[in-house]
Amino acid sequence: MKLIFDNTTLDLKPNGKSYIATFDGKTATVEILRTEKGKLDLLIDGKRVIAYVSADNAKRWVTVDGRTFLLTKSSGAKRRGAGGDQASGLTAPMPGLVRSVNVVEGESVTKGQTLMVLEAMKMEIRIHAPMDGVVKSLAVKVGQTVEREQELIKVESQTSKV
Amino acid sequence: MFKKILIANRGEIAIRIMRACKELGAKTVAVYSDADKNSMHAQLADEAIHIGDSSPKQSYLNADVLIQAALASQADAIHPGYGFLSENASFAGTVDSAHLTFIGPSADSIRAMGDKAESKIRMKKAGVPTVPGFEGLESESDFKKAAEEIGYPVLVKAAAGGGGKGMRVVNQPEELHEAIESARGEASNAFGDDRLLVEKYIPNAHHIEFQVFGDQHGHLVHLFERECSTQRRYQKIIEETPSPLLTPELRKQMGEAAVNAARAVNYYNAGTIEFIFDPSLSTPALSGDEGFYFLEMNTRLQVEHPITELTTGLDLVQWQIRVAAGERFPYSQEQLTQRGHAIECRVYAEDPANGFFPSTGKLLQYIEPRGPGIRVDSGFRAGDEVSHFYDPLLAKLIVFGESRETAIQKMQAALREFVAHGVTTNIDFMQDVLSHEDFTSGKVSTKWVENKFNWKPSTPTFESLIAASLADLTIVNRPSSIVNEHDPFSPWKNPNGFRN
Repeated sequence: MKLIFDNTTLDLKPNGKSYIATFDGKTATVEILRTEKGKLDLLIDGKRVIAYVSADNAKRWVTVDGRTFLLTKSSGAKRRGAGGDQASGLTAPMPGLVRSVNVVEGESVTKGQTLMVLEAMKMEIRIHAPMDGVVKSLAVKVGQTVEREQELIKVESQTSKV
Repeated sequence: MFKKILIANRGEIAIRIMRACKELGAKTVAVYSDADKNSMHAQLADEAIHIGDSSPKQSYLNADVLIQAALASQADAIHPGYGFLSENASFAGTVDSAHLTFIGPSADSIRAMGDKAESKIRMKKAGVPTVPGFEGLESESDFKKAAEEIGYPVLVKAAAGGGGKGMRVVNQPEELHEAIESARGEASNAFGDDRLLVEKYIPNAHHIEFQVFGDQHGHLVHLFERECSTQRRYQKIIEETPSPLLTPELRKQMGEAAVNAARAVNYYNAGTIEFIFDPSLSTPALSGDEGFYFLEMNTRLQVEHPITELTTGLDLVQWQIRVAAGERFPYSQEQLTQRGHAIECRVYAEDPANGFFPSTGKLLQYIEPRGPGIRVDSGFRAGDEVSHFYDPLLAKLIVFGESRETAIQKMQAALREFVAHGVTTNIDFMQDVLSHEDFTSGKVSTKWVENKFNWKPSTPTFESLIAASLADLTIVNRPSSIVNEHDPFSPWKNPNGFRN
């Protein structure tokens, strides 16, 4: 059975009471000693390993040996198509409040121009134009609360319009 | 002594204060916003009063509502904690006029130290060393002239400021315009006051602060230093005491300066004098330049107060309450000593690999470390939501060791035991700071994280991938999932066994 996390693929094969794990040319024999909610007690190549594991949809938090990793489980070979879209959508780098919107749809903007200002944790975050272009669409209003990664504004490169 | 105390704060500090109240036999009143209705601090108090919606302005910053809550619950004192209204002079004044006791300094002391420009003038008069600089500048050409006189690089900062907000380093004249404009914008947003001052910027500066403590009978002492140079975005993440940089002579000199600074504003209760420390000047001190400069005074309890508690053996919050009730602080400066070494790590829900941006979400797992010499001040449990409304501090992890080396080792071990899932944290980041040779040799300055420490999260290990895969296999094979999943819509929680 293959499991894909982010860009890495791990192969796990049942082998009697244990498993054989293969990853990046390495192989290990894994035995599950004990499980409890959110916690695995494993024997990996004879070494005792305690792992804390949590899941939230495709996300997996794993803590092993004092280090925590956030892995995203992938269901297959889904890849986002690259390129093709000349309009650049800008998203919120963190959750917060839209303090000001300095442009309107259709307005020409220059690279580096402040398009809007967010406020989060009492910090001011300026959203700058990534290139010279035109504001194609505005997805938020002043006073609105935004989530991380939420789209704020689309700027279209001027050269792409011709 | 007070019979009932209202705690005008939330999270770990509210809980810390409640503990002290309970130890002193005072009843506690918590206040909470919409977002905090299930928070620990609201549950641990004897009474809890809802004060408004989730935004701080409508709740923890709403002075009128807080005073009404105190009067309605018949509390006789208000402890403001840190942040929110703790350094708001008019709040302290309003508390007094409502015939309640404000557990902190007088409104006048808060006012005198609240304005950076004015407090600096006062400190100069009191003979406390300050950073060379200019206040009360208006036009951009004034700023330009001042900056040239001081010599670049200079720091432009908000007169009313704090916490690094409204602060910009300017390396050359061309950068001045943008710096003034953005600092002004941030200052007026954060403090409602856009006045700026300009001063000498000290590269490789350390931040060393002194705890001061006074009663209302004129007795004032210092409780030694805290080295708080490990910062990101001008905010502290690791603090320790004693500072590895101070000699006994410097400690004495700075302690005296701190007491003088506090005395100049007739200070009582707990306060902190922050100094900028220039390690290049400290040994030997150049004539006329002490190598340490008054930065500002925090007229309240400090986040990092526990490390002082562990090394002095004093309970600062208990003493805050006792001196507010009129008791005398019984120890003379000579009776106070430092013992051992203490370190605090602030465990934040934030992403060190992504500009330390706060991370929000539900805590899927949350396990605090334990053991001798380990103290955790926290306000969260597994299942709690970390919201974007408030500071993303999950917990303060504090350790005590007989020496700096043992304290660092203890902190490393404790951080490795700390499990927090559901949000990204700075736990791994702090482990790597503590094991860096610049930290162990005491060379971390306030800009070190930004300028020198190029941190990258480690790539997932074979073992962690195996663990993640096995957890998933167990989900697939057995509905009694071992994965800790709080998702209420999870098919495994469907009671009739039907999955769609």
